[in-house]
Amino acid sequence: MHVCAGCSCLCDDIEVEIRDGSVSKVYNACRRGAGIFLNTGSSRAEPKIDGDNADFEKAVKGAQEIIQSSDSLVIYGLDTVTLEAQELAIKLAEKKEAYIDDNSTFCLGDFVEMILRKDIPSTTLEEVKNNAYVIFYWGTDPYHSLSRHLSRYTYYPRGGKRQRGYEEDRFLVVLDVRKTHTAKLAKKNARFLKVDSDEEVMRGFIDALEGRSPKVFQKDIPRILKEMEKGGFNVIFGGLGLKYGLKGDYSILKEMIRKMNERSEVYFIPAGCHPNMRGFNELLFEKTGYVNKYSFKDQTSSDEFAFHRLLEDGKVDAALIIGSDPLNSLPLQYARKLADINTVVVDPRETFTGKIAKVVLPSSIAGIEGGGTMIGADGTRIRLKPVFEREINDEYVLKRLLEVI
Amino acid sequence: MPLEFSRFLKKVSVEVVVGRWSFQVEAMDRGKFSDEFTEKSAVLYLNEEFGKSNGFREGDIVRLTSGNKSVNLKVLFSDIAPENGAFMPNSIYTSYLTDFSSFKRFRATIEPSNDRITKPEEIMQKVLSMD
Repeated sequence: MHVCAGCSCLCDDIEVEIRDGSVSKVYNACRRGAGIFLNTGSSRAEPKIDGDNADFEKAVKGAQEIIQSSDSLVIYGLDTVTLEAQELAIKLAEKKEAYIDDNSTFCLGDFVEMILRKDIPSTTLEEVKNNAYVIFYWGTDPYHSLSRHLSRYTYYPRGGKRQRGYEEDRFLVVLDVRKTHTAKLAKKNARFLKVDSDEEVMRGFIDALEGRSPKVFQKDIPRILKEMEKGGFNVIFGGLGLKYGLKGDYSILKEMIRKMNERSEVYFIPAGCHPNMRGFNELLFEKTGYVNKYSFKDQTSSDEFAFHRLLEDGKVDAALIIGSDPLNSLPLQYARKLADINTVVVDPRETFTGKIAKVVLPSSIAGIEGGGTMIGADGTRIRLKPVFEREINDEYVLKRLLEVI
Repeated sequence: MPLEFSRFLKKVSVEVVVGRWSFQVEAMDRGKFSDEFTEKSAVLYLNEEFGKSNGFREGDIVRLTSGNKSVNLKVLFSDIAPENGAFMPNSIYTSYLTDFSSFKRFRATIEPSNDRITKPEEIMQKVLSMD
């Protein structure tokens, strides 16, 4: 059995068939996961210097020179690589007194930080499978982003105290600004709440818990709370829609969860896509007390040290991008500035950012061509069991870059 | 010569919701420079009723404009699109049109276009030539 590192579920029941040295069939994976295994050989990155193909060793030397000569380096990405590679990247940042940041700054890092600081209670997917009754998906569409979440871990599986199937033993609540595919599953024993304002809905839950009539969803909110009391163990999966809906102020989320817990157990788990985002957050938190946007020079974290702010403010002269494609995922007004500085990209596949980088170094696909460890969104550590072994992986590249510092 | 009614359509203002779309993510692993990636990313999903009532047909090419930035996309109908808005998979297209303040939902206008779909490379060209 192999582990799919396509998203933060880190499904560890993947089986593959190999024909002529490549994966020909994949069992148990979702569309995304199967695609990663079946397309292992597609769109692979080649070593490049200034956009031209280069010998790998020359490209490594080019990257070493950029990092060595940089006065102000930022290391960014890292959420698709193993803990072992992340540790090396953090070590490199520390030695260079560099900035380090990952996707969690604009993804779900705030939620992970609240969990690590114990501001909100969290649990594991295994506990959810065995115990959870009311399952909230708030601002997330796992049908597309975490495709096996409902079938393997939350709504559909039977486990522990929940042996009677989803029709009786689970209560699904989907909150979103549109009727997503996940919301369409909310039929029997379920509710879909179309959200205009997340704060307003949370205020509704708090009002109902304090004995007042909620201003929105007057019938649904009391029913959901009643079901939560009945179930005794409930979980909220929060996604990017929730993060951006709350606009950075999570006080009402914390208040709602605290008040809900006065009636029955309620846990929160981030519904993030990146397979090892939580791994990076935990490693950096252990070392520095912060989960992201950290400056080893200033020994602190700040919004000013967020990757996009560093680019916008012109504070960095070089960027090392590992396992991420900011030109695809960040507002381009910031990401475009990577073309003006010395950018090094380390990635197994061709990326838009690679097209504007000074140096591109190919690496391996975590979980398929290289082993290591990742931490899922629920905090569970999973050991990867690669199908193939490739000598040049993220760890190898980072060790080579560390040689010159 | 066929009448092109779409030429007489006015701009429609909508809110565009950005999210994951597993078919598009799958195409990403086949290659961000592949035709399949463009086909699955350069898409504006509209609710069928909303689309038709505003004169759009499935397969139409439209110009989506947010602020001073525009891209040409193909219209597809889907029941997961907001009732009076649009849905787009997150990709270089949405990264081009959004900022962090409007990262997952942004206001835009849709109007008919006789041009072809914008390719990712064209977006990169536009971005790199910005001041």
